Amino acid sequence: MTNSIGEIRDADVLFVIGSNTSEAHPIIAMEMKRAVKRGATLIVADPRAVWMTTIAEKHLQLKPGTDVWLLNAMAHVIIEEGLTDDAFIAENTEGFDAVRERVKSYTPEEAEKVTGIAADDIRFAARKYATTEKAGIYYTLGITEHTHGTDNVYALANLVLMTGHLGKPSSGMNPLRGQNNVQGANDAGATPVFYPGYQHVTDPEAQAKYEAAWGVELSPEPGLDLNVMMKEVGKSIFGLFVMGEDILLSEPNVKKLEEGMNRCEFLVLQDAFMNETARFADVIFPASVFAEKEGVFTNSERRVQRIRKAVEPPGQARADWEILTSLANACGADWSYSGADEIYDEIAKHAPSFAGISHARIDSEVHRGKTGIQWPCPTPEHPGTVYLHENGVMRGKGLFSAVDYRPSNELPDEEYGLFLSTGRTLYHYNCATQTRRESGLDEKQPENFIEIHPRDAKKRGISTDDRVEVSTRRGAVEVRAIVSRQVRPGCTWMPLHFAESRANLLTNDAGDAVTNTAEYKVCAAEVKRIAAKDSETPRFPGTYYSVTGPN
Amino acid sequence: MSDDKRAAIPHGLQEAGGLTDGIARQLSRESGVPEADIYGVGSFFHLLARPSAKIRVCTGLSCVMSGANEVLEAAKKAGLPCEATSCLAGCDLPPAVLRDRRVLPSVSIADVERTGGDWEQLDSSAIAPGEEWRGFVGPERTNPDELALDLLGPDDKSGKSFQRAVELGANGVIEAIESSGLQGRGGAGFPAHIKWRGVQGQSETKRYVVLNADEGEPGTFKDREVMLRRPYLMLEGLAIAAHAIGASEVYLYLRGEFEVPWGIVERAIADVTERGIYGDLQFHMHAGQGAYICGEETALLEALEGKRGMPRLKPPFPVEVGLWGKPTLIHNVETIACVPSIVARGGDWFRELGRAEAGTKLYCISGHVKQPGTYELPLGITLDELLEVAGGVIGKLKAFSPGGASSGFLPASKRDLPLDFKSLGSVGSMLGSSGVVVLNDTVDMKWAALEQLRFFEAESCGQCAPCRIGTRYLREATEDNLDHGAAGGTTARGLAHVADVAWQMNEGSICGLGQAAPLPLTSALQYFPEDFQS
Amino acid sequence: MIQETQIRINGEKHSFRPGETILDVAGRAGVEIPTLCHDPRLKPAGACRTCLVEVEGQRKLLPACATPATTDMAVVSESERVDRHRKTLLALYATDHPSNREASERGAPDELLDMIENYRAPTDWGAMASVRANRHDDRNPYIHFEPDTCILCARCTRYCDEVEAVSAITLAGRGSETTISTVDGLSLLDTSCEMCGGCIDVCPTGAMGEKMPLTRGDKPERELEKVRSTCNFCGVGCQVDLNVDREADDGAGRIVKVTSPPTGTTTNDGNLCVKGRFAYDFVHHPDRLKVPLVRGADGEFYETSWEDALQKAAAGLQGVSERHGKNGLGFVSSSRCTVEENYLVQKLSRAVFGTNNVHQCAAT
Ligand SMILES: Cc1cc2nc3c(=O)[nH]c(=O)nc-3n(C[C@H](O)[C@H](O)[C@H](O)COP(=O)(O)O)c2cc1C
Ligand code: SF4
Ligand code: SF4
Ligand code: SF4
Ligand code: FES
Repeated sequence: MTNSIGEIRDADVLFVIGSNTSEAHPIIAMEMKRAVKRGATLIVADPRAVWMTTIAEKHLQLKPGTDVWLLNAMAHVIIEEGLTDDAFIAENTEGFDAVRERVKSYTPEEAEKVTGIAADDIRFAARKYATTEKAGIYYTLGITEHTHGTDNVYALANLVLMTGHLGKPSSGMNPLRGQNNVQGANDAGATPVFYPGYQHVTDPEAQAKYEAAWGVELSPEPGLDLNVMMKEVGKSIFGLFVMGEDILLSEPNVKKLEEGMNRCEFLVLQDAFMNETARFADVIFPASVFAEKEGVFTNSERRVQRIRKAVEPPGQARADWEILTSLANACGADWSYSGADEIYDEIAKHAPSFAGISHARIDSEVHRGKTGIQWPCPTPEHPGTVYLHENGVMRGKGLFSAVDYRPSNELPDEEYGLFLSTGRTLYHYNCATQTRRESGLDEKQPENFIEIHPRDAKKRGISTDDRVEVSTRRGAVEVRAIVSRQVRPGCTWMPLHFAESRANLLTNDAGDAVTNTAEYKVCAAEVKRIAAKDSETPRFPGTYYSVTGPN
Repeated sequence: MSDDKRAAIPHGLQEAGGLTDGIARQLSRESGVPEADIYGVGSFFHLLARPSAKIRVCTGLSCVMSGANEVLEAAKKAGLPCEATSCLAGCDLPPAVLRDRRVLPSVSIADVERTGGDWEQLDSSAIAPGEEWRGFVGPERTNPDELALDLLGPDDKSGKSFQRAVELGANGVIEAIESSGLQGRGGAGFPAHIKWRGVQGQSETKRYVVLNADEGEPGTFKDREVMLRRPYLMLEGLAIAAHAIGASEVYLYLRGEFEVPWGIVERAIADVTERGIYGDLQFHMHAGQGAYICGEETALLEALEGKRGMPRLKPPFPVEVGLWGKPTLIHNVETIACVPSIVARGGDWFRELGRAEAGTKLYCISGHVKQPGTYELPLGITLDELLEVAGGVIGKLKAFSPGGASSGFLPASKRDLPLDFKSLGSVGSMLGSSGVVVLNDTVDMKWAALEQLRFFEAESCGQCAPCRIGTRYLREATEDNLDHGAAGGTTARGLAHVADVAWQMNEGSICGLGQAAPLPLTSALQYFPEDFQS
Repeated sequence: MIQETQIRINGEKHSFRPGETILDVAGRAGVEIPTLCHDPRLKPAGACRTCLVEVEGQRKLLPACATPATTDMAVVSESERVDRHRKTLLALYATDHPSNREASERGAPDELLDMIENYRAPTDWGAMASVRANRHDDRNPYIHFEPDTCILCARCTRYCDEVEAVSAITLAGRGSETTISTVDGLSLLDTSCEMCGGCIDVCPTGAMGEKMPLTRGDKPERELEKVRSTCNFCGVGCQVDLNVDREADDGAGRIVKVTSPPTGTTTNDGNLCVKGRFAYDFVHHPDRLKVPLVRGADGEFYETSWEDALQKAAAGLQGVSERHGKNGLGFVSSSRCTVEENYLVQKLSRAVFGTNNVHQCAAT
């Protein structure tokens, strides 16, 4: 996030796209609700009528995968009506002309045909966003989990830059991180192209710095990102070390992955629980959960916060950092960390963005009434950074990128007639290894389901609570049906938390051209009724708020 | 979800036959109002909360003294779906019984037995079948020029006074109201012109006039008579008020039990609207759903907005922040009905009609009196003067409530006190709604106090602790005294802490209900200590 | 321009900003005014009446929580009248509330009892049985409502409406029988409730409480140790207080419940969602891995020592690296683990095994 969670309540326009905020980021949603109660205008762009649409001024219910059309059309309106921030563009950006040219053909009327959103609604959103000073964009996986995810992000960035909504309170470009420490894991260098603090592995200076720090030679060759790595398992990758993840549940097109796994020679797994991936493991280390160790998590707003040891790990389980240290030493290294604080000090020493941060400082200081420190924080005296780019765009100029709409990799056809998207629900969390061990959450949402629009359900003779088979080119699973107006006609939606009917047997692993992030949000599927409902009591009582939509 | 949809919830629940399982969810789907909110509203109002009770017997003091409890017993025995209810504004024709939403006067045990258990068959043999009933109004109409409301006179439908108001202009009208000395007749006696000026002076231009026809103060039934006899007079008053303060919409809040007055007012509205004598002025009618507290003006506004009828904190007053947050002028039916003649005949004329305070007043009298009814008399007459026109006391006068349950009790010795706002206020009572209830020496004042305490406990909205807990505490303490005498009962509570509780309720309660609720007990203790000794 | 003006509280001048209430100013000035229905996240209700103070020129006592400060207002928060008010009000509350802490504090601390003690209110006015309807048959797993201890401050219902915006609970009925209910008295599971537990957080008496600790018979909250940490689920990074029973599990400690830090001190501003507040069972779940495992020749897992497991893992990974080259290995780390642990995984990959094939398992 360029801006902070605390700024949301003061925003005047919230443009939320591809984010089921109230379920995936409930507390951010609370801040948004607060803003709306105060009088802010909420605009939600999402193929599904997610909860936030119930308090939104406008719901732009676009067809899945047509985000670029919507965003370019908004840019079109902003430019055509002279709502751009020309001073900001001149001073802080590059490449605007190309975007101006590119979006010329993206008229709202044409956009209506592709996205299904009324042209006037597109105009409304564009005007409202462009003419309001405290206007922020918020997005999640609904933007990134596409083959054109990077294009979506560029198209959003174009809007931010052309209206100058950057470097100011309650504005900016705000990806909401799905998992607690996505930000922190990236910051720490758990990415194939960056050392900690976003220092590129191909940068000789960075390489030299870390070679000196670690006392070894390092490779200047970028590594494989996860999506490619998984496709390479059994082809060029034959050994895996997996910490705290169930890749067999979370990765797309698991069938292909399983085939690769069979050819994998060695797999080390470090986790607190047995999981699906363990079927292929050779060694399993019992690890700790957050309540059993010290360390920091970094949240979506770049705030570095502490976790603290509250209880002892069970049996012989150990903190992950201890296991990693022992493993490194077993492999011939000579690591000697006395605690997580010391590890953090090593990170801070070589990464300027975190140089001013330490456990001791987080423990003792409170800034603006809140604990934790927001990086960039270059010195121990620096109070942290609430919003980025305050004095002009960081590191040179903000780059516009002209993008064109490209259809999703797989679209509905004769055989598979429906769109399928996947996502999270409030009650479970990712692979649900933790939440599904929680009797209460399991009670609220005990099993997997698929949402299907009444029109499509009727065609297939499906009613709520029937058991159905959902199939795609990659596989099939059996789930319960919920006939709901939350989804558009022609679209279906399914959560990804359930091991016994894995959504990711269905999803497409085609990756984004730049990030390789897989297209979890769009693929073609078919739904078939296989059995009638087995009881009169609805299985998912009450979770469904009333939605009025097309019949 | 719009304000209108929420405002329509009580009516929606009424149409649906009250709050039964599943209704709130269904209405929520249709309106977008959260289902729990709808349930909260339905459960607040007695007419909605217990829809199966089709027969409700008034257990207000006047009705109980006329055998209401026995009628209730008979109704239960006859197998009628019945329950007790608070005052039905039918104290002049007791015992009053509610059949669905219609008040039946003077219902006898025989009437009840005749139903054979079919509640729809219940009728009062005191009225001819199919006939609409009215209460007694007096005194005889000797000089209409001395009557501001003139309930026995013809109801002028011409809108002449409104024309006069238009000629006078807003300021001219408000000046007339000011010189008339008109005080609010709903209970507080607040000078009317201050509210009119208050609304007029707001910068917000969307404003409302609201009519308080929720008449629920035990012993009071005058507004009912105004609506039954002079609906046009009342509408004209509203139109003048709207004109003066710059409102284009008027909301009329009638208590839900006023099915008969509702029909009469509704027809009159249709007529004036069709004839367009008040321009584009819009009248909206809203039915109460069984809650005395909604007579309190801010609770009434909440109810109009479709919420639970819980009074708001004041300040801010409705004049500034009223219906949907807009400046709002709220008046009682009687106050509003005084307006046309003030405009037509001038403020001085009206002021001169009263004694120490201005105008004539509709006094209601019931209980142990020979001719219960509504009497228009100069404001400030004494109880004796009132008794004289009402035929005198039945038996020997022991005590009276000058202005409904909220005014507590006064002993016979105070019979020559002027019945006006100031004089009664000076003895710790109040004129209130001028619902006078007369008690003779057969009445045990501890029992009478207990009846009133039951009323307040049943009608407390429950929002604030002093009233919610205090009303119940005082009722239980008094029952305790009734059961165990002055020594106090098993809970060792007795009446030892009444003074402190009453002080707290008066200081700490949000609204007038909680502030006044201890008064029947404390006044009975003050004036009739002997009744608590046994 | 923010306009600074002054009011007097107990004779002393304090400046205030427009929009501030008497309570806001008093709070900053360190003047203690008791409150029960107030919560900074909610619009003032002025319903509990504990905060009433004298304001010069006003006939009635006014609620400090709901009365805006105005220029030259003179407020008295300590006087005989205010003291009598507090004592008699609290004495009334006491007649309608359990008097002993065993009964009222099975879960969270009871602010009303504290207040009764602090202001030395009489507690001998007798006791009335609760007439508020319960919902003890609600099969929801998390939230328990105990009407006996409820004081109808409506913080829970206002929170549910104003903050969580789902309006699953409401004040129901009226008068002394007013209670907290769902639509038709249904289980919270069958309503719009999202189980954020905010109602528990705001409840001053513990009437809204956590069900699991009550069912398990855990120690009351007063006897637990709070350890401040960060929620381990989504990227909001809410701060949580893990409430630990130190003696449980032979001294290993056990998380009994999770509470949110006070409003205004952390990013989450005192709020949590269902996962952060209630999903802590997994920590002490019997399925936890407790011993290192290695796969035997027969394909089954066998328990082993740390040393053996580490040796086998090192040898296995090194073997792959030798056979297929450095880039024959891949390291998958986790956005669920700490920054430090992610750092170590990439260091392991880069510095020990010489490959940049390291990625965390999450797209954003
Ligand atoms: C508990 C309570 C009940 C009330 N009931 C009524 C009522 O039934 N009718 C009424 O006109 N005013 C009632 N009032 C007075 C109103 O709050 C308000 O003062 C009145 O509507 C103002 O109109 P007025 O100025 O014409 O009297 C009640 C007040 C309280 C505190
Ligand atoms: S005094 Fe009684 S009726 Fe009035 S607000 Fe308080 S609880 Fe409600
Ligand atoms: S449950 Fe708690 S928060 Fe809710 S009204 Fe009762 S005391 Fe207040
Ligand atoms: S409490 Fe909920 S919103 Fe907060 S970090 Fe945890 S999962 Fe996210
Ligand atoms: S805190 Fe002010 S009335 Fe409750």
